Amino acid sequence: MSEFFRALRIIAANTMRELIRNKLLYNLLFFAVLLISSSMFVAQLTIGQWDRIILDMGLAAIELSGTLIAVLIGVGLLAGEIERKTVFPTLAKSVPRSAFLLGRYAGLLSMLAINVLIMMVALAVVLRAADYSLSATVVQAAFLIFLELAVLAAAAMFFGSFTTPVLASAFSLALFLIGHLLGDLKLFRERSSSGLAKTLTGVIYQVLPDLELFNLKSQAANELLPPAGFTGTATLYGIAYAALLLLLAAGVFSRRDLK
Amino acid sequence: MARVSFPLPFSRAAFIAAVALCATTAAVLRPRAQLLRSPPGATQFDIPALPVEVSRPFSFGLRSLVADLMFIQAIQVLGGIKKFRTAADGASDDRALDRLLTYSTDLDPKFAGAYRFAGNAMPRHTLDEKVTNVLQAEAILKKGVRERPDDWRVPFELGFLQSYYLGRFDEAARNLALAAHAQGSPAYLGLLATRAAADAGDLDFADRMATVMAAEATEESTRAEWEQRLVDLRMERDLRGLEAAVARYQKRSGIKPPSLEALVKSGDLLRIPLEPHGGRYQLGPDGAPLSTGAARLRISGRRGTTAGLEVK
Repeated sequence: MSEFFRALRIIAANTMRELIRNKLLYNLLFFAVLLISSSMFVAQLTIGQWDRIILDMGLAAIELSGTLIAVLIGVGLLAGEIERKTVFPTLAKSVPRSAFLLGRYAGLLSMLAINVLIMMVALAVVLRAADYSLSATVVQAAFLIFLELAVLAAAAMFFGSFTTPVLASAFSLALFLIGHLLGDLKLFRERSSSGLAKTLTGVIYQVLPDLELFNLKSQAANELLPPAGFTGTATLYGIAYAALLLLLAAGVFSRRDLK
Repeated sequence: MARVSFPLPFSRAAFIAAVALCATTAAVLRPRAQLLRSPPGATQFDIPALPVEVSRPFSFGLRSLVADLMFIQAIQVLGGIKKFRTAADGASDDRALDRLLTYSTDLDPKFAGAYRFAGNAMPRHTLDEKVTNVLQAEAILKKGVRERPDDWRVPFELGFLQSYYLGRFDEAARNLALAAHAQGSPAYLGLLATRAAADAGDLDFADRMATVMAAEATEESTRAEWEQRLVDLRMERDLRGLEAAVARYQKRSGIKPPSLEALVKSGDLLRIPLEPHGGRYQLGPDGAPLSTGAARLRISGRRGTTAGLEVK
């Protein structure tokens, strides 16, 4: 067991070292910080509500760039390695495949956390320049965005465990879009009179992740506190869903014929 | 140093000439094309072609940002509105403001800033002495009161609009009372609410509110203000009773009563009530009862009140 965790730790550290040299990461981070900074100029177009505009643009930038990092880089870390066959030397050293996958995920998750933190610092600086400060709800909103990214990164690992990088990216991005539509799918289910439609939409709703549960951006922008217990419950849901995806990914990847 | 040959299959001069020709052609054709294209709509700012029911889910968790975009567009519309126009002249801008702010608040129903902006910016005084976009602003603010009862400025804007433009003092009183109960609201709001209620004749509501506010007051001066308001309301109730007695007398005899004592003698009034401010009740030159102790609680009929103007 200790061998498993040792391998996981080494691969995670190695993944972080790799990602630090990744140009795509820096490009996405640069554009996110640029977008956050430009929110100050967009806010000049309004009468009052400067903090709201800055927060909305800032949190959107964090979510969108984080999603691209989680998906595009996440897919490359597993599916890309398999396609380039660079995974073989590592696996040849009797590293369990699940340790490799989880190590890759842990490295990516650490990098996502650092990115979200950097973007939050940029947002705090822009808000400070406009004479505002980060509220507790904004911090909770950013934390839930990070959890959403954790779920998407786990999805990228899951899809990357059995398909090509291009398809894994497409599936993961589709999951991001569908995940934000699930609330409306539920409404559609409630209003539908067809039994088949009800069953089908019910299954889809239960199986796919409801990413709107990680969306506190509107509350943050409106300076409203989230309902009591919401953030904690959403956090546990996110962790459970990401863990489920990783377990499935480990199961598939361990049995996959890589030849 | 080796000479680097030009990388295209024609001379450098031909290349420069071709670039200059293309640039000049583009520069000349651009304004010409702009002139020829179909004229833009009455206003360049408008809501997306998608209904809000579609754009809400398809903003993929960024609906607050899309709501901001509509709000910023509404501000640009307001900034472009020329002053001193007739109702018909500015109708397209009125519609654009209404559509943008309705869309924005439908997308993000908690957007308190958009509600306040609607209350402030939408009503428009026109050259032909009308006020437009009031009912539309009222509809948006009613939604705001439902969604953001915690922000006192939203029910306050609605109460103001209903009393100042629409002359609906009973509804205004209730919204001003809502505003008065919200956290952070200024102390005068409650007094304003009771004044509107007294004007509307809803004295029970005004009494209840003043009694609660007096009981809840933590400062002596505030409690004194509310107790004074209760005295004003008692006077208002007396005066309304006197008005009813005058009306009964006039209906029966066909003439105005000469004094309050005449009302008691005729049986239209049981007795002349005691004026609570220490003054006394009497009939004015127009035959209407009045108090010598204090002015009545009124919100309508002041200078600047536009309740009598046509409201669209």
